[in-house]
Amino acid sequence: MTNVVALNSRDHRHLRVQASASARYGDSQNFVAVIVNEFPFLVVQYPILFSKDSETGAFYCGAMLGFDKGENLFLDERKGFEGYRPLNLQRGPFYTAGGDVAIDLDHPRIDGGGQELFTENGEPSAYLNRVIALFRELRPGLDATRGFIETVVRLRIVEPIDISATFDDGTKRKLEGLYTIDHEALQRLPDDAVVDLFRRGYLQLIYLMIASLKQIPALAQRKNARLLEATGALT
Amino acid sequence: MVLNIPMVQPVQNVVIVGGGTAGWLTAGIIAARHRARMKAGFTVTLVESPNVPIIGVGEGTWPTLRTTLEKMGVSETEFFRQCDAAFKQGARFARWTTGAPDDGYYHPLMLPQGFAQVNLVSHWLKEDRGRSFCDAVCQQGQLCDAGLAPKMITTPEYQALANYAYHLDAAKFAPFLQKHSTETLGVRHVLADVQEVIRDGNSGDIKSIRTQQAGEIPGDLFVDCTGFSALLLGKALGVGFKDCSDVLFCDRALALQVPYETPDAPMASHTISTAQSAGWIWDIGLPARRGTGYVYSSRHISDDEAAEELLRYGGKMAKGLTPRQIKIRSGYRETFWKNNCVAVGLAAGFLEPLESSAIVLVELSAKLIAEQMPVNREVMDIVAGRFNEVTHYRWGRIIDFLKLHYVLTQRTDTQFWIDNVDPDTIPDRLKNLLKLWKYQPPWFLDEFDRLEEVFPAASYQYVLYGMGFRTEVGPMDNESTGLVAQRYMAENEMLTRQLRAQLPRNRDLLNKIYEYGLQPV
Repeated sequence: MTNVVALNSRDHRHLRVQASASARYGDSQNFVAVIVNEFPFLVVQYPILFSKDSETGAFYCGAMLGFDKGENLFLDERKGFEGYRPLNLQRGPFYTAGGDVAIDLDHPRIDGGGQELFTENGEPSAYLNRVIALFRELRPGLDATRGFIETVVRLRIVEPIDISATFDDGTKRKLEGLYTIDHEALQRLPDDAVVDLFRRGYLQLIYLMIASLKQIPALAQRKNARLLEATGALT
Repeated sequence: MVLNIPMVQPVQNVVIVGGGTAGWLTAGIIAARHRARMKAGFTVTLVESPNVPIIGVGEGTWPTLRTTLEKMGVSETEFFRQCDAAFKQGARFARWTTGAPDDGYYHPLMLPQGFAQVNLVSHWLKEDRGRSFCDAVCQQGQLCDAGLAPKMITTPEYQALANYAYHLDAAKFAPFLQKHSTETLGVRHVLADVQEVIRDGNSGDIKSIRTQQAGEIPGDLFVDCTGFSALLLGKALGVGFKDCSDVLFCDRALALQVPYETPDAPMASHTISTAQSAGWIWDIGLPARRGTGYVYSSRHISDDEAAEELLRYGGKMAKGLTPRQIKIRSGYRETFWKNNCVAVGLAAGFLEPLESSAIVLVELSAKLIAEQMPVNREVMDIVAGRFNEVTHYRWGRIIDFLKLHYVLTQRTDTQFWIDNVDPDTIPDRLKNLLKLWKYQPPWFLDEFDRLEEVFPAASYQYVLYGMGFRTEVGPMDNESTGLVAQRYMAENEMLTRQLRAQLPRNRDLLNKIYEYGLQPV
């Protein structure tokens, strides 16, 4: 359940939020919605793919962090989060409501401990200022992402991708409902459409998505290493 | 020296006369197929009278329409929104066999599981008496029972988890196709009344049509989509009509649009066809209303009695409504393509909409014309000959298949049903097949092996065994295929459970399509 309310210094003066990465705070997700501004950071670490919202069927961009539901292969309870942490995980219990920052009071990150949101005299804390800065990036980023998706879907340069992997413990995974850029369809586009993609900055995003596919085998290796670690611990 | 160059008359200008569903579907299919040639002078013109009202031929379609619309470049989301379209997963026939209240079976749109590998009929007959044939071999009957849609909001346009066609508002479909054909596919639209069909004195070909508002319109190939009046093929070229009311008795229809009790009332994702005292009632779920109608034989019931039966069927929501009467004549043209004129739609013929064959026949005919579009007049007769042969075969098979629904009845409560099993009214070919099917169930490698068979052997299986027909199975018949059959029936059970858990309610998905749309990929 969620309990989202507008944040204010009167009611939430003494509220604290756990900011660190942990499974118990909701970081254990294997596919996280991302915005196009994040692509350059994501590409060195994650496959960036499209998926569909199960309620509306609408496409969204996401980073793949693991193979199984709830599996985040970049999260280590002892060492913390490895590398770039997607904004959607960074924002934790915060939302925007119109121009205001809102907070989900039922979020697991609110357990009494962690970072304070306001200073003694009611000013936003350094942590809250970072959250506000993050939303300043996230909100226009969402519009830019929608525009990007609308364009590639309209041009029909999106295709389903079947990801299947066999791991050293003999188990197999087959992921469905994921999509990527259709490279052949992209190459068939007329020149004016390609120039338009370039001018709007979409061509770069497209190639970042294509390049990020190389992270799929790396992610599989990462999982394999964890599986071996687990079985190694037994022998 | 005089060089004598033989005149080869190219076929460049196609003129379609009539702007109903048949006309616009034909225009769209031909234009989409030959779009690239338009730069080189190929034209598709549709001439439509501003004064003749459109007859909405049925609101049921076949899954072929999905491919047809996709090839025309139509967005399925827009089609759903603008034509009040809904999903159709086949038909349920109620009270056709015994007339009892619980008597009914499905003719679904899915093939039996593993249909290409094994014929499940004999296995079902031997081992699965408790379950209906449909439920034993495919998922769709149970999806319909549960009121589920055939796909999810994440399934792309035109793709399916369970095969589907559409129910649609025919009065909105023709204008929708018109807009797409003229704005996107380059079809020329002329609003004018045809005054005269001008023919060549020697060949008898149609040279042009003279219109009241737009003068003379010449063409190389004319498509007659003028409905029952068959202005070109029937009136101008004198091609006769082959009546088949001796086989199919129904000659009247009463149509009635019934509103739902509440806007979110469940809507069936299949056509419901309920047998009556002298015919049957169709019941088609559209988003805002149900389209119902009584197709009946005027020899067996009066118009007033028929109206009474229909209003009774419609229940309290039909109270005070007045049905609209349509006179129908079952039969088809003796020739469909003569000289440079070919008839499509009602101009080619009409059959009662028991299996929604009207729109699918338009699609098949238009596709055949588009694919086989003769390059010049010289080869047109060859194409016409093939077109006539295939189309005759199709009409014959549809008539057989429609009659099959009647001859398997056990009803003797009215003269209509008694007359329908009279051997003199059953085509010989169907009689022979019924004899054969007593010993071997229909499947591949028999009669139905045409590439574009309208009703495949699977359809005959669903109707035969849905209506309690029994084929003798020898003690050894199932030996060699037993394991495979078991596997497919088990697979069907598993898929049925999966789909039932996964699929949304029919109306819920339609509402989502209106709100969010389906994705093209």
